[in-house]
Amino acid sequence: MSTSTGEPIKIEALRKRFGALEVLNGIDIDIPGGKTVGVIGPSGSGKSTLVRCINHLEPIQGGRIAVGSSGAVITARGVESGGRVLGQRDIACYRAQIGMVFQSFNLFPHLTVIGNIVAAPVGVLKRDKKEMIDKGMDLLGKVNLQDKAKTYPAHLSGGQQQRVAIVRALMMDPKVMLFDEPTSALDPELTGEVLKVIAELAVRGRTSIIVTHELAFARDIADTIVFMDNGRIVEAGTPAEVLDAPRMDRTKAFIGKMI
Amino acid sequence: MGLDRLGRLLWEYRDALLSGIWVTIELAFIAMLIAMVVGLVACFGSLSRSRIVSAPAILFIEFCRNTPILVQLVWVHFAWPELLGLKFTAWTSAMIALALQSSGYLAEEFRAGIESIDKGQIEASQSLGMTYTRLMAFIVVPQAFIRMIPGILNQFVTCFKSTSIVSIIAVPDLMYQAQLIVTATFLPMPVYTVVALIYFLMVFGVSVGVRHLTRLLPNFGYFTERKEAPAA
Repeated sequence: MSTSTGEPIKIEALRKRFGALEVLNGIDIDIPGGKTVGVIGPSGSGKSTLVRCINHLEPIQGGRIAVGSSGAVITARGVESGGRVLGQRDIACYRAQIGMVFQSFNLFPHLTVIGNIVAAPVGVLKRDKKEMIDKGMDLLGKVNLQDKAKTYPAHLSGGQQQRVAIVRALMMDPKVMLFDEPTSALDPELTGEVLKVIAELAVRGRTSIIVTHELAFARDIADTIVFMDNGRIVEAGTPAEVLDAPRMDRTKAFIGKMI
Repeated sequence: MGLDRLGRLLWEYRDALLSGIWVTIELAFIAMLIAMVVGLVACFGSLSRSRIVSAPAILFIEFCRNTPILVQLVWVHFAWPELLGLKFTAWTSAMIALALQSSGYLAEEFRAGIESIDKGQIEASQSLGMTYTRLMAFIVVPQAFIRMIPGILNQFVTCFKSTSIVSIIAVPDLMYQAQLIVTATFLPMPVYTVVALIYFLMVFGVSVGVRHLTRLLPNFGYFTERKEAPAA
C-alpha cells in the first residue's frame, strides 16, 4: 500500500461560472495532508463542482488550487507549473495522482472488474500487468469482491460497482481522494457497504474530500465539515461544531431538515 | 418458360454469372473496408476542436452523403481525369465512388456512436490519468463500436446494393453480366428475375449472418440489461 500520508490541498478564492451563473463564488479551503473533509449542503450549492475543479474536470475562472508539493497549480489559465501552462499530457499526469469516485460509478462496461482495475495502472503508469493483477486481487479481497474479478459491471449491484470503482481509484496510489456523492445513487440498504470501504480503506493515509448527504457518516469520518450554500462556504469546523452546534441560521435550517 | 429451359440457360451462362457475382462481392467488400478506414479518419476529423481540421472533414462527409451514387460514379470516372489529372480503370473508379459514398455515412455512424457514450466514461478515464488518445482508443471507441454494428451492417447492405450501378461504366459485375445475357438471348424476364433473386439471397444472407452474430454478443457479458442508477 501507499506509504504517503497524503498531500495538502490548498484552495484560494476559487471562482467557477457556468455561463452567467456563478457556481463557486470565492472558496477558500486549506486541508493539511492526510485529513478528511466532508462537504455538505443543499443541491445546487456547488459542492460537486468544487471537487470536480480539483482534478480539472471543470476549468475554473478565478483563484487557485494547489494539490501537494508537485508544483502544479490550477488557475483560470488551466494547470500551471512554474508559470508554464501545462499541455494535455501533463494534465493527465496531474490527474493520475488524484483519485476520484463518482456518484454514478462510471465503471467501464466493456471490461471485466479486474480489467477496469488494472487498465490505468498498466496503461498510464506503465506498471507490470501481473503485479497489478495481484495487487488488484488483494484490494478486491479487502472489499469482499475477489470472486467477482472476472464479472462484467452490468452483473454487479450498485454497491458492488461502487466498491470496484473505489478499488480502481486506489490502484493508482493516489495522494488525494475525491468522492462526489458516492452513495447518492445507491439503494439505502447498499450504502453501508460502500461507506464502510471508504472509511476503512479509501481515506486511510490520504487527503480526502467527500461530498455527501450522509451526515452521520460525515461526522464519523471527517476531521472538518464544510457547509456550502449558493457557491460559498457558509460554515466550516469540526463535526461537533458544525453538525451539533451550528452558528449560522442557514446551517441550522439545513441540518434540521436532514435529521 | 419451362424450368428445364431456365436451367439450361443458367448453365450456359454460369461463368458469366459467377464472375459477375464475384466482381459484385469484391467491390462491396473492398469498398466497405476502405470506407471504414476513411470514415473513421473523417469522423475523428469532424470531432476535432480545431476548425482547420474539422471543417474539411465535415465538408467531405456532407459531400459524400448528399450526392447521389450515380453522380459520384460518373464524376469520379469522367471528371477526375480532367479535374485532378487522375485516370482510373472503370473498376477502380467504381471502387472509389462506392467507398466515397459509404465513408460519408459511416463517418456519421461512427460519430453518433462515439457521442452516444456516456460523458461519465470520459470523466472516469480522465480522472485515472488517461490522455484523450488513450481514452478514445481503449474506453470510448470499443464501447461505441458495439453500438455501431447495426449501422455498419446497414451501410454494408446499402453499399452492396449500390454496386449494381457500376455496370453503367462497364464494370463487369452481376448486373452488367445480366445485361449482356439479355442482349444475347432476348430473355429479360427470366434473366432479371434470377439476378434479382441472387442479389436478394446474397444481401439477405449477410444480414441474417450479422444479426445472428450480434445476438451472440450478450453472451460476452456486455449487453445484458444494466440496472440504471436513479437520477440524482
